[in-house]
Amino acid sequence: MANKTLLVAQREYLENVRTKTFWLGILAVPVLIIISLGAGWVLNKLKEVKTYAVIDYSEPSIGRRVEMTARQGDMRAFQKAMKEAGKVFSAVPKGELPDNEDTDKLYQAMLEMPATDMQALMKAGEGFSTAKKYKHRSLSELELDHLEPAEQEKALAKLVEEEKLFAFFTLGKSPKKDLDGFNYVSNNLTDNDLRNWYASATTRVVQSLRIRDAKIPRNVAERLQEKVEFREKRIDESGDTADVKGSEKANKYAPVGFVYLLWIAVFSIAQMLLTNTVEEKSIRIMEVLLSSVSPNQLMSGKIWGIAATGLTMVLSWVGFALLGIWLAPMIISGLDFPLMAIIGDPRYLISFVAYFMAGYLLYAAVLVAIGSVCNTLKEAQNLMQPVLILLIVPLVAMIPIVQEPNGLVAKVMSYIPLFTPFTMMNRAGGPPETYEYVITGILLIVTVIFAFKAAGKIFRVGVLMTGKPPKLREIFSWLRQS
Amino acid sequence: MDPALKLEGVTKRFGAFTAVDNLSLTVPRGSIYGFLGQNGAGKTTTIRMVMSIFHQDEGTISVLGHSDATQVKDRLGYLPEEKGLYKKMKTAEIVAYFGKLKGMDKSTANLKARELLTQYGLAEWMDKKCEAMSKGMGQKVQILGTIIHNPDLVILDEPFSGLDPVNRDMMRDTILDMKRAGHTVIFSTHVMEQAEQLCDAMMMIHKAELAFEGTVAEIKQGLDKGIRIDYDGDGSVLQNLPDHDRINDNNKSAEIFLKPGADPQNALRWLADHLTIRSFDISEPSLHEVFVRTVELRDAELAAKEVAASGGNS
Repeated sequence: MANKTLLVAQREYLENVRTKTFWLGILAVPVLIIISLGAGWVLNKLKEVKTYAVIDYSEPSIGRRVEMTARQGDMRAFQKAMKEAGKVFSAVPKGELPDNEDTDKLYQAMLEMPATDMQALMKAGEGFSTAKKYKHRSLSELELDHLEPAEQEKALAKLVEEEKLFAFFTLGKSPKKDLDGFNYVSNNLTDNDLRNWYASATTRVVQSLRIRDAKIPRNVAERLQEKVEFREKRIDESGDTADVKGSEKANKYAPVGFVYLLWIAVFSIAQMLLTNTVEEKSIRIMEVLLSSVSPNQLMSGKIWGIAATGLTMVLSWVGFALLGIWLAPMIISGLDFPLMAIIGDPRYLISFVAYFMAGYLLYAAVLVAIGSVCNTLKEAQNLMQPVLILLIVPLVAMIPIVQEPNGLVAKVMSYIPLFTPFTMMNRAGGPPETYEYVITGILLIVTVIFAFKAAGKIFRVGVLMTGKPPKLREIFSWLRQS
Repeated sequence: MDPALKLEGVTKRFGAFTAVDNLSLTVPRGSIYGFLGQNGAGKTTTIRMVMSIFHQDEGTISVLGHSDATQVKDRLGYLPEEKGLYKKMKTAEIVAYFGKLKGMDKSTANLKARELLTQYGLAEWMDKKCEAMSKGMGQKVQILGTIIHNPDLVILDEPFSGLDPVNRDMMRDTILDMKRAGHTVIFSTHVMEQAEQLCDAMMMIHKAELAFEGTVAEIKQGLDKGIRIDYDGDGSVLQNLPDHDRINDNNKSAEIFLKPGADPQNALRWLADHLTIRSFDISEPSLHEVFVRTVELRDAELAAKEVAASGGNS
């Protein structure tokens, strides 16, 4: 008897998998990801270089120093961050990795690096790349150097007006005393990047001017200016505190990616099942099939067949992802490594596959029941609205739960079977207690079994119905029938 | 030997609506049996109960000697009125798939499917997708899917509807082949001529209740004979025929029933005066006439009952 379920499932699977569109659809996802990543990169490269000019009224003139400081980024911060990185880098034992594979060593070092230093390093590094986006046009280049300052301002304003210049700055007369005359003139009121970048460089120059003016010794000034940074620490197994590693930080956020993938997979495959059921009803093949197989065999055959289809899809994606992780460091250096390491973590992969199956089966039962009572896709979409609204909840809760994986909301949602797969995956970085896995798991399995039974009862009657879809009251009366 | 199908006191209700009411009938093995009845009378519901797609609320159904039809599901073939094919499947695949669902092993089913398709002139379509076929060809494929596993009992719901004469003959020959191979065929139809020509026995269901059951001869026994004529001319004058009770006028032929006691010879003389009569015979009523008269009679009875019931209440 189970043999017939298998036959139905097999047919369903082959019909989907044999089409070219199925494989194109699978391929489309990594291709789209690559395209969108590539497009972002290209767009960033192509981003128009913003030109600016400066009229320097300051005495003594600080224009050149500001320009230099801006170009160099925050060297001091960068050096400091690099020192931390270098410590970790040299701490990686020699001989553990082949000496020539420096990228591997660097990769290892970044995983081990304290999260605080890592953020500092990234932020400092950013300074260099932003500088490339802005281009300084000197006044002599613009052939304005022979004019009076007031005339220069007018000429520059005209250039800004004509969009030949993005903006111009004026540096005030006496930066040591006040900030009068420090202006930024542009027609673009939304893009403040240039203004902020130039301002921070100017701030550093003005600060050092005033420090020297006040005759404060260098070391005192440095102490005065030091920013308070709270280092991120956590309590390790032995009860001591330890630096939070970069990899651990990414670890906490990794579930978000998984939940998102889980959501897309469950949703798109369950939807596939719904479409398939409605279609099969509309081509009037159900009755022929029901003369050979029982409604339950037909329903479970469909659900398993499409589960296999979906699994093929998801596993292909995982395959692509692993391939990407393997290939990425070869192609692009300086990639965000730790996150990549997490995706390959078997702990996440196993719970992903398990929660995918449970989540899919639960929503499949609901959607196959909906599909069986509808004659057209339009009807089915109407009936699906409430399910959709329910499905939005785990998506909205994604970020709050990852921030507080053992919080009240996370805990409560774990015990609602419709949300269990998403929430528990979401909390994986926590991770939840073992007893929570057990209890929510049992609840989920019981719900899946119950949903299958109920769906079977609806499917049995619904699948042969034509005409307008039944009322909710009628559906409940079918459920009561044995 | 057990009958192919035996129903005793079978009732099926959908909510307040009774679709089949206390139905009893016997279909002998090796016969061709007709299910007659108006649209919505309960034929399809009866068939679905036999196929254990629905379960009866009351009564017993025994199929091929088994009280539980699910036990013999693989020995039954069923072609529903509303039938479809998976459009993306190849013709030979889908026929074989139906065979496999009936418990045939893979290689036998594949072989048999190709054999049947060749036999029925669809050899060149074997490896083409179903969506490419015409409606008539699709129906052929469906019937092949119904009989691939050589079922002992075949049930066909409206097998002739929508078929052209050539395909009708094909369907008829298939039914006859099944009978000759010793299998039982049940089919439902609205076309009385077909039932009259093909069926060894039949039953009629009217508004959920059995109206009659038996062989054609048994059903017609005792019913008053009618006059059948083939004619040329304006058939509207038939309405003026003296002493007529009812007339089924088909434009070139007609079936005429006279009032009790009227002389057919007088009618013939009158008809010869008004129309060109090509043939004239007095015979038992056609199944068509029996069907229409049963419907009228039963509806009148039901109406009278209702009046009596509402009269009793007031």
